[in-house]
Amino acid sequence: MMELLRMEAHEIAAAVRAGKLSARDVLEATLERIASVDGIPGTIGGDPGAEPDKIHAFITLTAERARAQADAVDAKIAAGEDPGPLAGVPFTVKDIFVVEGTPSTAGSRILANYIGPYTATPVERMEAAGGVMLGKVNLDEFTFGSSNESSAFKPTPRNPWDTSRVPGGSSGGSAAAVAAGEGWLSLGTDTAGSIRQPAAFCGVVGLKPTYGRVSRYGLIAFGSSLDTPGPVARSVRDAALMLQVIAGRDPHDATSAAVPVPDYLAALEKDVRGLRVGLSPDYFRIVRAEGGELVEEPLPAEIKQAVLDTAERLANMGVEIVEDVPMPHNRYGIPAYFVIARVEAASNLHRYDGVKYGYRTPDRVADMREMYRKSRGQGFGLQPKLRILMGMYVSAAQYSERYYQRALQVRTLIRRDFEAVFDPEGKYRLDALLTPTTPTAAFPMGAVYGDSVLMQYADQLTVAANHAGVPGISVPVALNSEGLPLGVQLLGRDFDEATLLRLARAVEDAAAFTAKV
Amino acid sequence: MEYEAIIGLETHIQLNTETKIFCNCKADSWGEPPNTNICPVCTGQPGVLPVLNKAVAEKAVLLATAMHAEVQRVSYFDRKNYFYPDLPKGYQITQFDRPIAIGGYLDLPMPEGYTRRVHIIKLHIEEDAGKTKHANGYRLIDFNRCGVPLIEMVTGPDLRSADEAAQYLIRLRQLVRWLGISEGNMEKAHIRCDANVSIRPKGADYLNPKTEIKNVNSIDAVREAIATEIQRQIREVEAGGKIEPWTLEWDEDAGVLRKMRSKETEADYRYFREPDLLPLVMDEEWKARILADFPELPLERRARFMAQYGLPEYDADILTTERALSDYYEAALQAYNGDPKRVSNWVINEVLRLLNERGLSADQLKVTPQYLAMIIRLVDKGTVNTSTGKALVVKVEDTGKPPKKIVEEEGLAQVSDTGALRQICEKIVAANPKEVEKYRSGKTSLIGWFVGQVMRETRGKANPKEVQKILRELLG
Repeated sequence: MMELLRMEAHEIAAAVRAGKLSARDVLEATLERIASVDGIPGTIGGDPGAEPDKIHAFITLTAERARAQADAVDAKIAAGEDPGPLAGVPFTVKDIFVVEGTPSTAGSRILANYIGPYTATPVERMEAAGGVMLGKVNLDEFTFGSSNESSAFKPTPRNPWDTSRVPGGSSGGSAAAVAAGEGWLSLGTDTAGSIRQPAAFCGVVGLKPTYGRVSRYGLIAFGSSLDTPGPVARSVRDAALMLQVIAGRDPHDATSAAVPVPDYLAALEKDVRGLRVGLSPDYFRIVRAEGGELVEEPLPAEIKQAVLDTAERLANMGVEIVEDVPMPHNRYGIPAYFVIARVEAASNLHRYDGVKYGYRTPDRVADMREMYRKSRGQGFGLQPKLRILMGMYVSAAQYSERYYQRALQVRTLIRRDFEAVFDPEGKYRLDALLTPTTPTAAFPMGAVYGDSVLMQYADQLTVAANHAGVPGISVPVALNSEGLPLGVQLLGRDFDEATLLRLARAVEDAAAFTAKV
Repeated sequence: MEYEAIIGLETHIQLNTETKIFCNCKADSWGEPPNTNICPVCTGQPGVLPVLNKAVAEKAVLLATAMHAEVQRVSYFDRKNYFYPDLPKGYQITQFDRPIAIGGYLDLPMPEGYTRRVHIIKLHIEEDAGKTKHANGYRLIDFNRCGVPLIEMVTGPDLRSADEAAQYLIRLRQLVRWLGISEGNMEKAHIRCDANVSIRPKGADYLNPKTEIKNVNSIDAVREAIATEIQRQIREVEAGGKIEPWTLEWDEDAGVLRKMRSKETEADYRYFREPDLLPLVMDEEWKARILADFPELPLERRARFMAQYGLPEYDADILTTERALSDYYEAALQAYNGDPKRVSNWVINEVLRLLNERGLSADQLKVTPQYLAMIIRLVDKGTVNTSTGKALVVKVEDTGKPPKKIVEEEGLAQVSDTGALRQICEKIVAANPKEVEKYRSGKTSLIGWFVGQVMRETRGKANPKEVQKILRELLG
């Protein structure tokens, strides 16, 4: 069985399409794997400390639905039809996507009883391509976090490399599941780093595509101008395979782009010789606001080293490494994100009011206002409440100019940093920037949670790509001294995931990182 | 002291698009059971996104152009955040600081003879909310109306009387129907109106605090509510009181205004750009396509009818109430190729009656303008008499047959043959000796009665003038 689990998704699909492997057999092996490593799923009121050596990636396992899909794939093969490029590949979905007929909870009590009435576009595309959905995996409540510990569904996911540590977040269930061999692919979302950071923590590949590359229809919104669905996979090739399926214009999403989708798998075959990759000093330090002062700290040496080693290996392959690339506004990424994401989140969370669906207080209430207050007060956890309060505050008429409008200006400046270094006529003419993905490796559970400001600095190296809308990918390259995975990040031009994947493939090849499974 | 009223109107116009503004649900749910035209998008399910129905922008451009407003090349959608059970997303998607059109005006010809120019401040697109009903201690919510497209249009404080306000709505209703962008039925809330009302000494150049009247659902109600409020404000000021900036609700049944709330604090809707929609870019090419068949507007056509055809204002006004009717008139006039006033009389009297009785619009008639012209010609030539001509209008509408064919088939041609008529007249005179005696003894008004008898005998086909001539001779 381990042999099957070590295959890559594209190999599974090829074998199923060739009739050498049945989708049902692949699924049963995966379900067995889940049964042996995952432990009890997250539930409302569950024991956070239960089964501390298990992964707990899932909220909802939809085994019967998956069996029906696998059988349908096999039936197509038997009938001589092609089930599609993901034929028989089991995948998981972050429970921030609505899927028809399945609980779609956002990791929150307020949606714990919500059954999706329709299916999110990326999920629909994966299923239409022959993929087999295993179920919905855990996340930070409404994706508000970087460790998965804010989920209302306990126990929360643990890092497969060391189950005393967090898997990262908010797509922690996705990264943990893929790393632990519970499905080959997972559909995550990235608003400030929520795909790339957990991918780095769990030693897997995480791709945040260009904003507009993948439809957001069915993604329960957090920061609508930042949210980006994307693949979590065990290899760059598998991430490319998945992006191929989910990318492209969707008539249900006005912000999805009509830009043609290139052949990502073909792009992987191209040489990286001659590509220009930049290193920026602004990505080798962390700048935090502390008591009104900006405090600058260098990154841990082994994280910086992992990036420099990667750069050297790329240079050996003929990539031109450009040093000292200035990204001066990177340091303002988190404060600007703090404001923009909260304004959008507060508005996006308005609809959870106990009126139409989801949690409604069982208490007797005097009037409608009280019903709102109690339903929202009891239904939302701490993180949504903090974001609503802050979001309401900074978008109020008297403060909007000072905070929200200013944050939008900062966002424009961050975008200009990228435009300058990617400008083909400019000084740097980069094809990509190479940076660390995270300032630390996976931290112990309970170590950071509770300090929501500090928690957000986990995203300092990733958030700029969300502000700018550009694509980014995290690739695992090494283990640190504690045996935990470290990831490097490549950031690229708008809609140029092909070049990013091509470079990521080279990074992956050269690093020879060994997956957990 | 003499006062003048300062009135501004905020109107919401429900557009007659097939589908809603951000989803594919049917827009018009009039008379349908609650929650039948709904989907995940318009009920605000988690994860859904709005996609703009382009027809909404196109209809807004038509109205903006008709109002002489400046259509903006780029406009934006914003979120207006507030909690209400029939607002499923907890925010309304609307346009705030960058609406689709700015400025403009409408010139109102008043029946008194002067023209009032009403400025338009802005015109924007937004989605409607649902409906809440209270029953048996429950709030019942109908989401059918959620996402129905609206245009909100705000006038300057330019109206000076309740009649002017009513006139504005009459002209606006005429205009939206003319443009084909809304059914314009106020009873069905296709046009909703809030009125801002204040008073000041006549001739003053400052503005006093205003009150806002909400929920007025007909033009008569708008006139009455504003007139009532003006009187109340005058009484209040005369008594030494002050006008508070209240929001008032018009109770149509009781004919009184009720205070809804004091307006001391403006709600903060925390407007911000709707991130789920792209800016609305109205480029020249799209605009040109929308305006390619832009029609002559009702007030322009009204003026032209008076100038070009010499029609009285009364006729021109009636003929231009509806675009189809005015098109009908012009087509009939062209086919008739004669006195414009004569065609106007036939349209206003006969055609309009038919339209009202049958609930049709002029372009749906089987009595085409060409048939109408033929009928008038038949009357002119004396082939049929006037009352047969009028009956022909109805008969053509009922059968769809050409007027001449009906005249032939039913033998409706006027009998002017004096030999035949004389025979019938002699018969009538012989059969009514008493009336003949009365006539001869001086009651000559009985001539009408004799003519009537002959007409009855000929089933209305006799030429009445000829009949009268023969009868006078026989009775003489």
